[in-house]
Amino acid sequence: MTVVQSRAATDNWRTRLGRFEWKASPYLYVAPFFLLFAVVGLFPLLYTMYIATRQYNTLTGDSGVAICGATCGAGGADASIWANFQWVLHQHSFWIALRNSFSIFLLSTVPQMILALFLAWVLNANLKARTFWRMGVLLPYVVAPSAAGIIFSQIFSDKMGVINVALSAIGLQPIMWHASAFWSHVAIATIVNFRWTGYNSLILLAAMQAIPDDVMEAAVVDGAGKWRTFWSVTLPMLRPTLIFVIITSTIGGLQIFDEPQMFHNGTSGYGGPNGQYLTLSLYLWDMGFNKVTIGQPNLGRAAAVAWLLFLIIVAIAVLNFFLTQWLAAGSHAKTDRARLAEYRDRQRREYESAKRAGLDARQRAARERSRMDAAAAPQAGAQAGARAEGRAS
Amino acid sequence: MNKFKSVLASAAALALLLGTAACGSGSTGSSGGTVTLKIQTFNNPGYGAPTSERPGADLWSKYEAANPGVKVEETAAASSDDARAAFNTAISTGSNAYDVYVVEVDWMPSLMAMPDKFVDLSSYISSDNDWVSWKTENATVNGKLIGAGTDIGPEAVCYRGDLLEKAGYDADPEAVAKWLGGDSATWDSFFAAGREYTAKTGLPWYDSMASNWQSMINQVEESFVSKDGEVIATTNTKIKEMYDQLTSTKDLSAHLSQWSDDWNAAFKADDGFATIQCPPWLINNMKGNTGEDFSGWRIADVFPGGGGNWGGSYLVVPESSPNKEAAAKLAAWLTASAQQVAVFTTANNYPSSVSAQSSSEVSGKTDSYLGGAKVGEIFANRAQAYDIVPYKGSQYFDIETKLTDALNRVDVTQEQTAEQSWNQWLEDVKALS
Repeated sequence: MTVVQSRAATDNWRTRLGRFEWKASPYLYVAPFFLLFAVVGLFPLLYTMYIATRQYNTLTGDSGVAICGATCGAGGADASIWANFQWVLHQHSFWIALRNSFSIFLLSTVPQMILALFLAWVLNANLKARTFWRMGVLLPYVVAPSAAGIIFSQIFSDKMGVINVALSAIGLQPIMWHASAFWSHVAIATIVNFRWTGYNSLILLAAMQAIPDDVMEAAVVDGAGKWRTFWSVTLPMLRPTLIFVIITSTIGGLQIFDEPQMFHNGTSGYGGPNGQYLTLSLYLWDMGFNKVTIGQPNLGRAAAVAWLLFLIIVAIAVLNFFLTQWLAAGSHAKTDRARLAEYRDRQRREYESAKRAGLDARQRAARERSRMDAAAAPQAGAQAGARAEGRAS
Repeated sequence: MNKFKSVLASAAALALLLGTAACGSGSTGSSGGTVTLKIQTFNNPGYGAPTSERPGADLWSKYEAANPGVKVEETAAASSDDARAAFNTAISTGSNAYDVYVVEVDWMPSLMAMPDKFVDLSSYISSDNDWVSWKTENATVNGKLIGAGTDIGPEAVCYRGDLLEKAGYDADPEAVAKWLGGDSATWDSFFAAGREYTAKTGLPWYDSMASNWQSMINQVEESFVSKDGEVIATTNTKIKEMYDQLTSTKDLSAHLSQWSDDWNAAFKADDGFATIQCPPWLINNMKGNTGEDFSGWRIADVFPGGGGNWGGSYLVVPESSPNKEAAAKLAAWLTASAQQVAVFTTANNYPSSVSAQSSSEVSGKTDSYLGGAKVGEIFANRAQAYDIVPYKGSQYFDIETKLTDALNRVDVTQEQTAEQSWNQWLEDVKALS
């Protein structure tokens, strides 16, 4: 009796365990990633938010709820969790850094995307020594960002740099790479493009090769030229990849750090004497880890910048998503809408005619039936026939 | 039962993974009776085994031989900024990344504001650690010594003998010293000589306003912050006077940004700058920029406005170090007179120890790169001429960085007039609070 009972108990325990395993194991398998993400991703994110509300100095730590200080004028001494954000938004340097980040982001991402698409399209053609060309495109990506930064900062030196020496040799004015905001952005964007164009074109190439041949063949049979095929078939089918590539390069572009730091080519005063190439992440880093003056809530303010940067990136990524959808829709959105309306219209007409056809069939059947019924019961049949007649009219 | 085991195994694996993640930053301490002391340095303090790029006195092996059971590991940061960032992170998080740090003199104000985080070295030092008084003073808070003085940076004037000769001047060091004003040289007499030279040759006299400023500001006792902690940068008339004096010499500048590739390349260019303020450690950089066999540079035993000091470091031991006793002993030993002598004779870091300065090995040192100049004697004279201990409050670093930016806007990028740039600096200082 007891043996049976205990076996039943173990069986019960086992089935319960088995059920637990069945249900829990998928979560356990993915758990390591999420635990790691919680430790190195989520926690820092939330802790940064906490620090952003505090008077936090890099060296001495937390000393209460944030205050804005003399910068905010009369209310500067009041403690508020938004004070660090307020302080940052009052800083001229922050807006300069925002401008620079956007300018460098646009100067790098836009030409980079166009070039990468073009390169991928060329590489997708039947080239000889295919692997050689593909590897060649990826080669700059292998170069470490700092190494690329050092090499390019020498090329872009104001006096001894290759470009300016060449310009002077042919009698042109040398370009003041570090003094002019625009030219410094062009220089930094060049460093970024050098590294990332090849990487992006390989990703786009992989996506292009995944496009089924029959679609392309159909386009060719329909008489589409190379450009038309690219614009109306290739591009729309690349949409998911394009979204991925554009969003990653948005994040990378707005967080740009190594290149302007290396381009600066010196110590302290990062971003140029007038903030010519001060980017948001450079501003954040300089404030959080170089300007650690005791008594200043520098890390709290840097954390506020980090959160502002995060929000900006999210906003831009969402905007990009919609832009990319519009771009890769295959044709102009307006025509699309018109065509959609036309489709809907046609669909409605077909539905109507189908409905009518069904109705007619039913009426015909009803008339048939009533004729047969009329033979059996003339009065009732006449009534039904009259009803059916009335509905049809 | 197998299923139960597999669940157990996966749970165990998970725990193991978490465990390794949690103690990923565990540090090596003493293991098997040997203590490993980790030290973070930057530039070249001259302690390690000598290589062709990094001259050194090979002090680690000496110390390890004299102290069995101690191993020293040096990590050289790429730049002083990198070193500072790593140092700040380690101190703020209390991690024991290193047992000893080389700390630049500019970082000291912020360290002095948190003396509790560093070991008091006063009980470890002996009569061999006889640093010049201002060096000790600048690392002492309420009788607590938080830094052991390594080198100091007494400044002389280095000049391009070849360029001066080409321009028709007597390039002999004594003649040049006299031309610049001799013992009573002032910034006026220094710039006057420069105007003469630039008018004659059309070539730049100095490298950048920023490097001159560095010397000028270090001759002011109270510059940006008063001794009672008030920010006086924008109201101090002395600052504005010096700024005006310096920016009026714009024509004499080579318009280079310090430490940039252009600056490095100009050291041996035929149209490069003729003079530079020259602390001993800069000679290493000069050699690196021109190559050892370049013979244009000379050194004159003179300095405008009295003495000058640029750079120089301390060794500090954080309280969080698990081997702080052994680390403090190492710091005291490294900064003792005999080791300072060894460092100066192999690398170019001038000793802060008085007995080291007067030792025959230091005072008799000559440098063939500078035309066989008696550098030991010259720097001893220069160190003696420096008697001001500038007070640098905790905000000094931020304000000074902004002022360097202001000078660079006038000098390097030339986008603003001196007055515009000054006004922007006033705004910058206001925004710092």
